[in-house]
Amino acid sequence: MKPTFKLTALSAALASAPGFAQAQAEEAELAALTRPQSEVSVGLGYWSKDRPRLGTYDGMSQKGPYGLLDALINTRDDRTGTWFILDGRNLGLDTRELRMDWLRQGNMGVFLEYSRTPRDEPYTVFTGVQGIGTTTQRVPSPSATSLGELHLGTMREGLGAGFTKVLGGGYDFRVSFKSEDKTGDRLWGRGGAAEFVTEPINSNTRQMEAVLGYSDKKFQINGGYYGSWYTNHNALVDTALTTGASPFFLSLPLDNQAHQLYANGGYSLTDATRATFKVAYTRATQNEDIPVGAVPVFSGAPTSLDGRVDTTLLQAGLTQRTSSTFSWLASLRHYESDEKTPQVRVVQTGATCGTCVDTTPMSYKTLTGKLEGTYRMMQGVSLLGGLEYSKQDRTVPVGNFNAAGVDLQRFVPFRSELDETTLRLEARRSLSETLNGRIALSHSKRDGSDYTLTNEPKGDQINPIHIADRDRNKIKLMLDWTPVQPLTLTFNVEHAKDEYGTSDARPFGLTEGTASLFSIDAAYAINEKWQLSAWYTRDQTEAKQLGQRSATDGAGEAIKSANLEDVGDTFGIGLRGQLMPKLKAGLDILYSKNVNKYPEDISLIGPGTVLPASGGVTTSPLPNITNKLTRVNLHANYALQKNAEVRIDYIYEQWKTDDWSWMFADGSPFTYGVTTDGTQVQQAPKQSANFLGARYIYRF
Amino acid sequence: MRVLLLVLGLLSATAWGQDPAPQDRVLNGDAKCTRCHDENDSYPVLAIGATKHGTRADPRTPSCTSCHGASEAHMSHKGGSGAGPRPKPEIGFGKHAKTPIDTRTKACLTCHQGSSRVEWQMSAHARTDVTCSSCHLVHAPRDPVRDRVAQSDTCFTCHKEQRVQVNRPVHHPIPEGKMSCSSCHDVHGGNPKQLTRDSTTETCYTCHMEKRGPFVHSHPPVQEDCSICHQPHGTTIASLLKSRAPFLCQECHSDTSHRSQAGALPSGRTTSSGLTGTVARGCMNCHTNIHGSNSKENSATSGRFRR
Repeated sequence: MKPTFKLTALSAALASAPGFAQAQAEEAELAALTRPQSEVSVGLGYWSKDRPRLGTYDGMSQKGPYGLLDALINTRDDRTGTWFILDGRNLGLDTRELRMDWLRQGNMGVFLEYSRTPRDEPYTVFTGVQGIGTTTQRVPSPSATSLGELHLGTMREGLGAGFTKVLGGGYDFRVSFKSEDKTGDRLWGRGGAAEFVTEPINSNTRQMEAVLGYSDKKFQINGGYYGSWYTNHNALVDTALTTGASPFFLSLPLDNQAHQLYANGGYSLTDATRATFKVAYTRATQNEDIPVGAVPVFSGAPTSLDGRVDTTLLQAGLTQRTSSTFSWLASLRHYESDEKTPQVRVVQTGATCGTCVDTTPMSYKTLTGKLEGTYRMMQGVSLLGGLEYSKQDRTVPVGNFNAAGVDLQRFVPFRSELDETTLRLEARRSLSETLNGRIALSHSKRDGSDYTLTNEPKGDQINPIHIADRDRNKIKLMLDWTPVQPLTLTFNVEHAKDEYGTSDARPFGLTEGTASLFSIDAAYAINEKWQLSAWYTRDQTEAKQLGQRSATDGAGEAIKSANLEDVGDTFGIGLRGQLMPKLKAGLDILYSKNVNKYPEDISLIGPGTVLPASGGVTTSPLPNITNKLTRVNLHANYALQKNAEVRIDYIYEQWKTDDWSWMFADGSPFTYGVTTDGTQVQQAPKQSANFLGARYIYRF
Repeated sequence: MRVLLLVLGLLSATAWGQDPAPQDRVLNGDAKCTRCHDENDSYPVLAIGATKHGTRADPRTPSCTSCHGASEAHMSHKGGSGAGPRPKPEIGFGKHAKTPIDTRTKACLTCHQGSSRVEWQMSAHARTDVTCSSCHLVHAPRDPVRDRVAQSDTCFTCHKEQRVQVNRPVHHPIPEGKMSCSSCHDVHGGNPKQLTRDSTTETCYTCHMEKRGPFVHSHPPVQEDCSICHQPHGTTIASLLKSRAPFLCQECHSDTSHRSQAGALPSGRTTSSGLTGTVARGCMNCHTNIHGSNSKENSATSGRFRR
């Protein structure tokens, strides 16, 4: 316990004695080091320009001044071990959050928290659509000639609370609750054609988790309940042209909820052997009345879905260190998502099934087994070998068959069984003072049952990416090298290659994918006062995709071969040091360049043009897209006194892009509709801004 | 009286000049360590007093030797010529410490095996020789990895690809400090990809519950795994998509008519579905409810996520 003094005549006498002042100073210094510290930071910052892309989430997307206010009140009563923590961050910004913790350590604790997460849409919309932000929106017809500027975005605003209690005898209890409102609007589409509307968002989510835990030296277990509820205050968006024509009613997510009971635990059979398990059962339901607009509805369609998905998890594992040189691990996991939503008809346009759409409840279960062994050789060198087998059973019981037994509602061929086997080999070296590292190789092979065919022969010619036959090979190399004491270098090299199985009957889809990464990090202690760090990463992915194109819009039937590529070069530099006894300074630089390439060869196998055209509008191949980010941050802290300082931040950032997503082929803004709408969505191709901020920081 | 006080003061000063028996400073039983180790040492240790470990009113809190071992050889070393270097403490946690990984981890799990760490031994981190001190700074007053804003720097020490991805123009608000790696990943757990929940979709639903459905018209990959289409760590494409439309959609769809169109930009305004699969929202210009639709409109269109 920290000694305390009363200012009595005796202590006054002691205080006057030689050496006491020094002892008191040492006491104060020790207290500053060993007791929780509070900190308040108050300041002002200014962004010189709007920064819609880089300010998407930080609450500072607009040019102007911002309040910089953070506060951490962190106290502990040493006698009782009671903590009180009040942590407020970004209190002057739209991203503000506040959390209060009260904890009697070893006994009980409570917390309350509040947070806001804005997302300012980085695009600016120029539109004449009426009713944005509401559930009734009208698209101009004819096209609007006067467009209003619109900035979309969403805000998440959450409140949370929690309670923990150590019950004694190894038991403890934890409960937490969080409610979050999400409001705003996001880019959407009207569904009938490429016309603009927004999705009005006004929803709430709630999550509650309660866990009873037990822990002793050998056995630990948690048993809990996790519930989550989603409530959407909007259900349907009524859209039409301003003339009243083309009414489309767009559905929105409906209220849903899920309840989970779970238990997980572990038992240490010996010092070297541990068994673990996990079981969980979840029931998710959605049974809200399905809203309907002024549109025809099939008489047999349900008024509510009675949607239900039951999920079961069973997992067990055993790990053992058999000797000082060998350890192994085995695990088995069964995960089943069983959708019990009734299979009912929702759409039927004729007396019999001319055009029909049924609900398509999908279920799947995955069984995964894993076995790994690690042999520890001399001098910190280990060898690891592993085998993993995964088997998945999948069902979509669609009964919408034609006379030939073909599923009329299926657009993508389906596999009811998938199997994947993975082999891993790894060598590691650790515990060395100069050179540590690892090299890991893995090979996996995925295949499955025959495909259930679709109603479209051409649709059957594809190998869907997530269920296609696939051979995957990976290699990872990591080296951590300390050639001299103040310098550490870390190298990472990774390469992965996927080869997808094709056949004459099913030649299309992704045929090959590769991903590679090279990274080097360096940390160098220049002297006792200055440290330098730097890193560079090059990452590259490629996807080769083969497809067919049917003759449409004047374009001839063709075989398409795309070689999509994404190359990134990123580096960072960090410098920290002490310029003067009272002045510390730092520099951070981040530069990132990313190039996306979209070359696609089109080999005609029928009459027509290479690319389509319609109504006098032609099309052009896709240029590359380059994104560049530069951010430079200079900061300095000047100590006014031992527990107070001033911090100055200067940031320069620039983001450049030639992203054509919202452009016509000539670079002009894409415009929705032809005779209707007229909405444009734009972003500045170059966004640069400077930030200057000053804070006063006080610690106590 | 003043004379008496002066004498007391002098006596006290004399006592101060002596070398008293070392006393505990921040942890119970730390005196034998803190007589040598303090903040001026090459291994500054006292700041642990400001942490939960240093809350001595809680009888569960450790002494130095609880974690570092009794280390008798380290403490009894007399030094002097010919004595050789002082042996290290029995259990070291530094980057270049010789202590086996299992031993380091066990030092923490002796107290912390419960709660979210019951499955630690089965976790991907444990299997790749990551130990608690690989990420946690136990002596720091505020452990960076437990701070949402600072946490990712620790993770990026190993996860280089993700360090690059979060700096792409489209990302979750990780650099902004509104999310951290542990918002989605339970780094101590045994779930696939060390996710906080039992599957990718269940993890995503914690924030994106509107995607859970079940929907009247379901899009099967959505129910199965969000990461079939999305790269959650960051991309250059809106909505964290892995690839752009129409290429992304054509990884599964190879049908006739406009669905098989090549990637291309139109020269001007058009509503032809055969020309608008790439520009703007691509296929989602019309298939706007791509995660699932609850429309009951008696039209095949409603089953194609257009209503």
